[in-house]
Amino acid sequence: MKKRLLIANRSEIAIRIIRSAHKLGMLAVVFQSDREPDALYLNYADEIIPARDAGNEKAIFLDAERIVELALEHNIDLIHPGYGFLSENPDFAELCVSNGINFIGPSPELIREMGLKTVAKSMAIKAGLPLVPGSDGAINDAEAAKAYADKIGYPVILKASAGGGGRGMRIVEKPETMERNFKSASEEALAAFDNGDMFIEKYLQNPKHLEFQIIGDKYGNVVHLGERECSLQRKHQKIMEEAPSASVTPEMRKEMGDMAIRFAKAIGYYSAGTIEFIMDEDRSYYFMEMNTRIQVEHPVTEMVTGVDLVDWQIRVALGEELTLKQEDIEIKGWAIECRVNTEDPQNRFSPQTGFIDKIYFPKDKDIRIESGVQTGSVVTPYFDSMIAKIIVHGKDRPDVIKKTLAALYEFNLIGMKTTVPFCRTVLQHPEFIDASYTTRWVDSVYTPEMLENDEDEMIGALAATIMYASEYLQLSSDLPTYKNDSLNVWVLNKRLNY
Amino acid sequence: MGTTYIYKRDASRLFIALRENGKRFKIYIPKESQPVINGEEEDIDFVEQEDFHYAFDWKGKRYHCELVSRDQNKAVVKVNGVEYKFSLESLFSYIRHGMIDKDGKQIDENNIVAPMPGKIVDIFLSEGDLVNEGEPILSLEAMKMQNEISANCNGVIRKIRVQQGQSVMKDELLVEINSIDE
Repeated sequence: MKKRLLIANRSEIAIRIIRSAHKLGMLAVVFQSDREPDALYLNYADEIIPARDAGNEKAIFLDAERIVELALEHNIDLIHPGYGFLSENPDFAELCVSNGINFIGPSPELIREMGLKTVAKSMAIKAGLPLVPGSDGAINDAEAAKAYADKIGYPVILKASAGGGGRGMRIVEKPETMERNFKSASEEALAAFDNGDMFIEKYLQNPKHLEFQIIGDKYGNVVHLGERECSLQRKHQKIMEEAPSASVTPEMRKEMGDMAIRFAKAIGYYSAGTIEFIMDEDRSYYFMEMNTRIQVEHPVTEMVTGVDLVDWQIRVALGEELTLKQEDIEIKGWAIECRVNTEDPQNRFSPQTGFIDKIYFPKDKDIRIESGVQTGSVVTPYFDSMIAKIIVHGKDRPDVIKKTLAALYEFNLIGMKTTVPFCRTVLQHPEFIDASYTTRWVDSVYTPEMLENDEDEMIGALAATIMYASEYLQLSSDLPTYKNDSLNVWVLNKRLNY
Repeated sequence: MGTTYIYKRDASRLFIALRENGKRFKIYIPKESQPVINGEEEDIDFVEQEDFHYAFDWKGKRYHCELVSRDQNKAVVKVNGVEYKFSLESLFSYIRHGMIDKDGKQIDENNIVAPMPGKIVDIFLSEGDLVNEGEPILSLEAMKMQNEISANCNGVIRKIRVQQGQSVMKDELLVEINSIDE
């Protein structure tokens, strides 16, 4: 009998997982949320479970108990959580496991440990990974903070030990402002968390975000699939990713890759995972955290390595041994992913919702489209604004930049605005072309005016004029002096020729 | 003499699209040839038209246009996903506004005067016609020689002050033109 795989997710990633499930001879089962009952991914599934979540506070994808309850009712063998939602929720993983359902991912304990940054960091230290220089314990006063900052160098960042969400956080540029900042940060932390303890870390002003993809099995075999660079972010949300990174030399790739494997082995990791690093301008790098899910940007790694990560996630969950060998893994060419978010880059990336009157994706052998929508789909305010991903492969970085730009010019969506023009702007920016861009690019370099160009502006003027003129000439055609030579002759001629 | 002029007579086919950043596009849409934008004939292909969506091909690139909103003569057009806002005017309303609006760019009245005394033998254009710079407007006979008097700018003929057969003095006003040049 075919195994039954339930996807506790939606949109493009649900379709992506269905593809792997089918490849491995499984039945793909999905939820139909009342929040988007006509979603595209439903068309690809073998079986649909109506979630009846309209009256519920949480959409089905966030409702762990309900997911497991329905999974048991429908004889599900495996659950794939995708990304986001409950994908890194240890309680959900545990609930699956304790009910005899195979959770596609690492063990619940590991998800829990990696979710606690301090635990993850102490495990990283044990495995010999470099961490951003900082005080191990709490710093008691401004004097001690100053002494420590002198040792590691300015700028530094003060963080509340109990903190999160930016509260009790201060960047200190020079010793003179330490006292004032320490006092206000500590007071803020005390008010917010009832704990005024502070610690101090070196502050990286222009960092790059790098991450290593690993995959491991349940028998201690782990390989890495090279790095991705995800420095193009807005408010910690990635918008474009590439693999490999121009900032990583082959020697660094080996060193960092070995580190990632060492870490994964040390903690007994299995399934797909990502080890994130932050890189300073002098190319020194530090461990940040580990992600225990499949990531949005996994296709760029798949494009340059030819390894199917979702297939492997499922196979590892079934207890298969990894047949990939590190020495067989080769990075071929270059890949870029552009996220198509329904956000307005001309207006602070405000989310757009509504009907997709028409959507057209570029097609080519080097282009991979992962889309959760089609013409006629509705973009609701209930879920994430990412509707699709355009991933392009090229023989090297200049080649893939050129191809991606051409692909984005072919993309067209009528009905709302997207981040595609933003991605086009990035691809043409000198700091992207020379690969010097950092996570600060959107905040410090980008302005909406960069989206405009003279050609588009002129064609816009022409389009606006034709629309206006056809009306204007229509009006005059109602007048008695009308001569039968309407504007549309040019338009009609043009249409007839095509 | 074989000179081809980019503007044909019909001034009702000339429009002005103005962006809020002050950029101005003078767009002439002839009946059966390519549009003329700011005096240049552009090889733009119209490849698609559907409701409020147009697609053009120009210099090997595709341009998707969508009319986003329209309020009187103001229009927002999305080109390849980016919005541009224009206010649109026919040539006549543009010239009228130019006359009234003291702060805006004044539309010059380019007067053409007789360079020598003589007789008007022919008038080639009429009031309200679009005229190209260097295009003959009328013919003036002096000392048994016919002289073509040409437009000194691109624009629309506002007033023709003389009639065929009329004799004129040197420096007598012949034609007034509203220039559409910058």
